[in-house]
Amino acid sequence: MTDERSATDPTDLARTAASRRRFLAVTGAAAGLALTGDLPGNSAAWGARQDALKHDPFTLGVASGDPLSDAVVIWTRLAPEPLEPFGGLGPRPVMVQWQVAEDERFSRIVRRGTMRARREASYSVHVDVTGLRPWRHYYYRFRVGRHVSPVGRTRTAPAAGAAVAGLSFAFASCQAWWEGFYTAYRDLARHDHDVVFHLGDYIYEMGVGADSGVRQQPVPAEFTRETVTLDDYRGRYALYRTDPDLQDAHASAPWIVTMDDHEVENNWAGPISENNAPEDEFLIRRANAFRAYWEHMPLRMTQSPTGPDLQLYRRFQYGDLVRFNVLDTRQYRDDQAAGDGQDPPNPGSLDPGRTITGDEQERWLLDGMAERSARWEVLAHQTAIAQLDTREGPDVVVPMDTWDGYVASRRRIVGGARDAGVRNLVSVAGDLHRSVASELKADYADEAAAPVGTEFVGTSISSGRDGTDHDQGGLTILAENPHVKFHNFQRGYVRCEVTPQQWVADYRVADKVTEPDGTVTTRSRLAVEDGDPTINRA
Amino acid sequence: MNRRKAALALIPVAVLGVAASAAARPGPPSDVEISASEQPVEVIGLPCLHGDSLEVAMTNTGADDVYADMELSVQSPLRLDRRVFSSWLPARDPDTTVSTDVTIHAPRDAEPGSYDVQLSTDRSRLTVPVEVLPLPPKGPGDDLALGERATASTTHGNFVPCGAVDGNTDDADWNTATGWNDGTRGAFPDSYRVTLAEPTSISRVELHTLDSQRFPATGYGLRDWDLQVLTDGAWTTVDQVRGNVNGHVTSTFATVTAEAVRVVSHDSNDHSYSRIVELEVYAD
Repeated sequence: MTDERSATDPTDLARTAASRRRFLAVTGAAAGLALTGDLPGNSAAWGARQDALKHDPFTLGVASGDPLSDAVVIWTRLAPEPLEPFGGLGPRPVMVQWQVAEDERFSRIVRRGTMRARREASYSVHVDVTGLRPWRHYYYRFRVGRHVSPVGRTRTAPAAGAAVAGLSFAFASCQAWWEGFYTAYRDLARHDHDVVFHLGDYIYEMGVGADSGVRQQPVPAEFTRETVTLDDYRGRYALYRTDPDLQDAHASAPWIVTMDDHEVENNWAGPISENNAPEDEFLIRRANAFRAYWEHMPLRMTQSPTGPDLQLYRRFQYGDLVRFNVLDTRQYRDDQAAGDGQDPPNPGSLDPGRTITGDEQERWLLDGMAERSARWEVLAHQTAIAQLDTREGPDVVVPMDTWDGYVASRRRIVGGARDAGVRNLVSVAGDLHRSVASELKADYADEAAAPVGTEFVGTSISSGRDGTDHDQGGLTILAENPHVKFHNFQRGYVRCEVTPQQWVADYRVADKVTEPDGTVTTRSRLAVEDGDPTINRA
Repeated sequence: MNRRKAALALIPVAVLGVAASAAARPGPPSDVEISASEQPVEVIGLPCLHGDSLEVAMTNTGADDVYADMELSVQSPLRLDRRVFSSWLPARDPDTTVSTDVTIHAPRDAEPGSYDVQLSTDRSRLTVPVEVLPLPPKGPGDDLALGERATASTTHGNFVPCGAVDGNTDDADWNTATGWNDGTRGAFPDSYRVTLAEPTSISRVELHTLDSQRFPATGYGLRDWDLQVLTDGAWTTVDQVRGNVNGHVTSTFATVTAEAVRVVSHDSNDHSYSRIVELEVYAD
């Protein structure tokens, strides 16, 4: 799949150490001292219970996620040998201690506890830390015996209904490990975000290649095959999570995640696999994929999947300023129309009976929007809602895997937001491996219709390798779709600064990802004013 | 779902019944039973010719859905490409069996004979005998490249380099990865190399490029290439083929002692990919 040679092992090893130093620098120069003060084994601070492990089990970093106004999930997975089955542990459970503090020196510890890391969850730990104060930064860490994890920083959400002056967040997607270094995450981790969204394709099911593509890192045979079994998926998450930039990004802010297709298989739809495997068989694969996803994401224990069912759509309220509706447009969608390629609108894509969200999620979303609970109503989800005509000339040819293949869903949900009187509708998405900012309409066939919302599609972190400012496909999209106001075909992510008056989206792009140490800069700053969905240069 | 896309070569989780039954250890009855494909499983100690795959399976005989783990190990010096097999196992009636394929690697110097693969869950254990066959003869008249280590400049994701030394010359099987296809469309040269077991006297190479009814050599076959041999660490060109339209091309040359043979491809008849169904090397 990829053949270019660039990085070497020693380079990667050197970066691991550097990245930990870098994170400590982000959270304050004193953090390193605080850890030193607690070591080795200050049992008064940690409590007596200790399990001895010979090697550092915190090779996959730490994470936090799904922040509420009084709670946040903190996560780690013990893996002294990250690329071995079960991280080289087993079979006995391991006791993990955790601490949450108000300060990075851990002098004001507000919650602490012990959790049993079990083999049946790959020695992952998901602690739902409750009783926290709203809209506060917290610091967390884990410990097993003499080993202490890196420190993570997180933040709770504001209290319901609280007046919030501003919110800073980032969103990212699509991170094929063998196609690029996670330079964009290094940049993301250096900025201050209240929350980070991952909108899917966290892993890819395809093998990473014997030489790991651009990374040139030999990997065991397990990683060169397509993921199907639970051990395959577990191994792939572990491999991706060994990346120090990804670890830094997780440690820098709480993440709210949803999945797209490649966490299971390319372009799956509900119970239907890419190549029409029998449903019984595919649902076992889906169950395996969902289990490994939950094990490796900072999701609550209560969100662990039941076999092939995983409740991923959910809401996050940031006071009166923003409500995030996190969607799942894979698990309940109808099969793609017209064979799942690029096609003119057709009876399938226009069928009012077809859905990309499923009926229940659609009702949940429309009911929620009717509450008008915040100034900015955000859909945080997988792929573009806006129409994307990809054919030059008068013919309209659109992708069948995006909302263009589910025109009735677009009409009902974008139209529903308009009819509900939603003040500002904003969609943030990924999947396309290109940056695309569009004005949203309920019906693109009606050229005179005013836009009802704004969509910011973020490019990939690494999938598709370096890219370029505009490829031919991007030029065509710009030329054929007057509602598309910005395009770029490089790798990166998007930062957003939201206030009651304005939404500013900062498209951060990397000059290269096929070699380490690329440079990330702002390609464009786009603004939307309160009450007006049109896109302006900021 | 995308009907136009070719299937990737993946290991399916098949839902099926398989032969052989689990031998439970003493203790409480297990809800997960282990089974394995029909035996004996026969393998060969060549880098590119493994022999049979072992299909292993777990069956949930209980009333509750479970996530189950099977551990796999094999007697030295054999090696498995999977040390753990984990899966969700729904409780269904009839019982659900979930299986996967395991490749058994035997080194060239593995003593022919019987070896044990051990499969275990927390409560069940199963021993599967594996037979290591003697190496195929590599005397006069035998294909010296058969099953030997194959590498390539690049390889398309749907193919493996071993495909062109697997003993299968049937063009009709092209879609089952029985050949090599480079990974860079429209970019030449490409190279495909087979390293012989030891420096060997050779004087003839048979190259089979793609030439099926659907994909004739005139449209898809290899067109221009150099045939090179590695002697004392240096490559020498022993034949040059230009403008080829045939599926099967024989190159003969003065006998040389070669460590490896390679094809350096300069063009194909569709100018996109280099495709080799099989590369055979002979002493005379």
